[in-house]
Amino acid sequence: MKAKQLIEENNKKREQLTPENEKYYSDMLIYIRLQLTLSEQQSEEVLMEMLDHLLDGQNEGKSARDIFGDDPKGYADEIIQNLPKEQKRSVIPFIMGIVLNLLSWMLMIRGVVIPIASQLNKEDVSSSVYLYPTLLTFAVIIGSVAFGVWYIFRIIKQSLFNEKASEKKDMVKAGVFGAVAMGLVIAVTMFMPEFGPSFHFSWWASLLTGGVLWLVVFLFKKFEVWFK
Amino acid sequence: MSLRSQLLKGILDGCVLAVIEKEPVYGYELSKKLQEFGLSDVSEGTIYPVLLRLQKNGLIRGEMQPSESGPNRKYYHLTEEGKASLDMIASEWQQIVEPVHTLFKGRNLQ
Repeated sequence: MKAKQLIEENNKKREQLTPENEKYYSDMLIYIRLQLTLSEQQSEEVLMEMLDHLLDGQNEGKSARDIFGDDPKGYADEIIQNLPKEQKRSVIPFIMGIVLNLLSWMLMIRGVVIPIASQLNKEDVSSSVYLYPTLLTFAVIIGSVAFGVWYIFRIIKQSLFNEKASEKKDMVKAGVFGAVAMGLVIAVTMFMPEFGPSFHFSWWASLLTGGVLWLVVFLFKKFEVWFK
Repeated sequence: MSLRSQLLKGILDGCVLAVIEKEPVYGYELSKKLQEFGLSDVSEGTIYPVLLRLQKNGLIRGEMQPSESGPNRKYYHLTEEGKASLDMIASEWQQIVEPVHTLFKGRNLQ
């Protein structure tokens, strides 16, 4: 069975757990799934085995604590330590896919915004692209996305196995980060001076390139799935 | 950790391999069988990290199969390497058990 099917089955089966067992198991599940360098297939298989075991035990009146012990984090760490690592091969295409997807959306948005802004302004909006400022802006966006992923993962990790964790506080933290990152990207695009070599890149060329790139990334994902 | 669970930890891999050699089992069955054999100190969850490690080292192989009660379960089979490893563990164990047993002979055991 593929990892995706196992995840769906896991979601359904988890509903049969008592609230106490559900909390205990779900914390371990999220904690193990957050380890992105581990084999997804193997992780989902062992998570399913643990869930089946817990459900069988629950029917005999046992709790998750009876089965997996009093230290869920320590237990999950032991599982993680023994799971095989995913080959780097599938991590790099994953990140490349995100970066190219982001790039394709930016090109398409640019392609739509330039003609609309020109209409509203009643004059042509410059469609020149300055190489260095554009690269810098893109780097800032990628950087804040990467930092955001890391930061939100950290918030989630800290909330696991923690009775005192406050969901509201975590939401505020994530919200503040989102606002700051957005502000940073807007500030960079507004105040970035124009320098270095530039070239003309019309709105329709931008839209077309973005669309083609998006399609390529989309097809590549499908293609990859077929080969797995 | 009690002395008994420390001793058990060292030999648990061998015990798990021995149960799987008799017939393919899935996790829950395995923990039941270990307890039936009298190894009640093995808390149920302990077997999953062990199964993962044995799998990673190629000593056992997991296969999804329909269980007696119906739903699919991951059944573990012993590989050739696993068989060789179990033979080795059993002979190492023998070399410890016999002298220790002789040494302890005649003591009042309860």
